[in-house]
Amino acid sequence: MDTNKGASKVLFENWVNQFSDQLYSWAFHKTSSKEIAEDLVQDTFYAAYRNIDKFQSKSQPKTWLFSILNNKIIDYYKKKSKQFTISADDYINQVKKTDGFFDEHEKWKNDTDLNEQHWLDNPEFNSILLICIKDLPENWQFIIQSKYILDKKSADICQELQITQSNYWQISHRAKLLLKKCIELNWET
Amino acid sequence: MKKLMNILMLSCKKATELIEKRLVTKLTTVEKIQLKMHTTVCSNCTTYENQSDIIEKCIAKIHQPDTKQMKLSSKRKEQILKQLEK
Repeated sequence: MDTNKGASKVLFENWVNQFSDQLYSWAFHKTSSKEIAEDLVQDTFYAAYRNIDKFQSKSQPKTWLFSILNNKIIDYYKKKSKQFTISADDYINQVKKTDGFFDEHEKWKNDTDLNEQHWLDNPEFNSILLICIKDLPENWQFIIQSKYILDKKSADICQELQITQSNYWQISHRAKLLLKKCIELNWET
Repeated sequence: MKKLMNILMLSCKKATELIEKRLVTKLTTVEKIQLKMHTTVCSNCTTYENQSDIIEKCIAKIHQPDTKQMKLSSKRKEQILKQLEK
């Protein structure tokens, strides 16, 4: 028993040395936070160590560790989305703000620059977009990026995070309107 | 006829809503026709449609796996190894 334990410890030390940077890079990419990424990697190794019996030496340790990490990332967002509370006032303000883009007949108040293709020509576009995303309420930031963060279809995300689909696309709509406006404003200055 | 037009003609706000709804779930046939009719005559909403598409693509690009390798701090590595001794 003790030799067994010793052997898996050596194995684990190797894995930590070999894979922790890759796991950490991935976790950081998905959460944009060093602290959280470090925690997730630590949790991943801890879970792996405790469940070493489930690891089949046929599969690649790297694949196995990454699948544990990916589950940890989804859990992280599940937990986080429960904490996402946008106060009723804030929500109403955001909705009002976007309602203000339209007149009383719900037509666009201002004509938009019709040549949107030039958005892509600007090397600054990505950084403007990132700034604009950061301006959104936190849970809206997540909703609008969730498909890409979790690599899942919106419908599946709604199910996992227990959001109704209509709630999800209504928020996407408002968030997208705010992004459009923000990008246009940053363009002029 | 006018009544039918009223049913089919969307406001810009509603049209942009459908453009986003389409990314999450299938539109009904009526909604599809409504949206098509609206964007045919409304250049602002056609632009919105393209802008929304560009924003989506750029967000997707931002989240593409990075080739840049980061290093987990050695302090954290030690912590992880220490945990295994318990």
